[in-house]
Amino acid sequence: MNRDKTKSQFVAVASIAAELSAVMEVAKEISLAAANAKAIAFRAGEKAKGFQPITDFINELAKETIELVRAINEHALLLYQLTVNEYRMTDTYTKIELVATKAQGAAYEDSIEQSLLEAGQRMNECRRSFKSSVTQLLDQLEEVMHPARAARVIAANSRIEASQAGEYLQSLQAVAESVDNAAQVIHDNVQRCRSALSVVDLTE
Amino acid sequence: MKMTNIYEGSYQWIVFGRDENKPDNIIDTNQYMVRTADKCLLIDPGGVELFAPMLAAVLHYAPVDQITDLFASHQDPDIISSLGLWDQALPNAKLHSSALWEGFIRHFGCESIEYVPIADGGGVINLGDIELRVIPAHYMHSSANFNIYDPQAKILMSGDIGAALEASGAPMYVDNFDAHVEKMRFFHQRWMPSNQAKRVWIDSVRELDIDIMAPQHGRIFKGDDVNRFLDWFEALPVGIAVQ
Repeated sequence: MNRDKTKSQFVAVASIAAELSAVMEVAKEISLAAANAKAIAFRAGEKAKGFQPITDFINELAKETIELVRAINEHALLLYQLTVNEYRMTDTYTKIELVATKAQGAAYEDSIEQSLLEAGQRMNECRRSFKSSVTQLLDQLEEVMHPARAARVIAANSRIEASQAGEYLQSLQAVAESVDNAAQVIHDNVQRCRSALSVVDLTE
Repeated sequence: MKMTNIYEGSYQWIVFGRDENKPDNIIDTNQYMVRTADKCLLIDPGGVELFAPMLAAVLHYAPVDQITDLFASHQDPDIISSLGLWDQALPNAKLHSSALWEGFIRHFGCESIEYVPIADGGGVINLGDIELRVIPAHYMHSSANFNIYDPQAKILMSGDIGAALEASGAPMYVDNFDAHVEKMRFFHQRWMPSNQAKRVWIDSVRELDIDIMAPQHGRIFKGDDVNRFLDWFEALPVGIAVQ
């Protein structure tokens, strides 16, 4: 693997952690918005009857997103370790290969063959683990898009329900707005994670 | 990589150094190997940049599976930053180094190699046919620092003590001690921190029977030049950065 490609992989994996940290914050904001909405809906009583079950949905979506992001964070940490291992093993293999070239004509030049073979196997194993881990992470990132998409639908429903809430219209519309914005932010950040991972060559 | 036999008996001492392909901006180092019938000790095997030429040179003397022991006099990168690569290349090896530095040296990568911690008082390294003594040289310059003494070959591998900053391609042996002094002065005054540690080390080394004093940088001292070095060093104030 060339040095630039390795550098890009390190940057990609590190940037995922940063993006996910932002997603986590936004998911927590949604959770807070859900709590606010619940309080407003409770005060509004009959006028916001249709809004009350929506607040529970919003809360569930926030929880689900937080759990998924936690799992992805753990995976991203593992992926970073695998990136380091792959880098080390590739570097080791390259250096031992260089030993084999430089040792030509040495009395014991053949003895390096076994080390080279084993280093090659370890390098390939690291590459396989790394690529499989990237594929799993991409699946997880796809999964976290689902609650974000659902949140946008809920935000649209919330606006409709808010329109029937009389003097609570503005407060509930603000809740719907905040859920919609948060869902958009999550969508964009996750999309950036996926783009970052596109530098990884997943072909065998 | 230049290879020079410095002792030939029932076993060998070889010094590796003056690598022509070494990048100019890293300090030149001497690596030593003690080769017995079926074992090898590599003393201060060097930095990561040096791994490939060093191992390729070693293969002129021994197969990979007989490189059984590594020794790091202290924790510096020019001494042992290649450890992570040896760790992957050697199927059965031990690293002998200070117990104090273990948690630091392991940062270079040490999964398959067994780390044999050396206590402050020193110890021995057994290579089957021969036994080498590990002599304390603390604060010379590292806070936990050791030399290797071979009583049979009468060789003291002195680590950074006796080191000189030389132009690349310098000869392996000191041939004019008086001319050599200026190449050693700054190195010792700046990198050696303690006059007290220096006195303790000189006293302990004067008790040894030494024919060859082999430092990790620069040239090797032979015969009377060993005592000339000890006398010169005894009179030299060190730790000058805080005086």
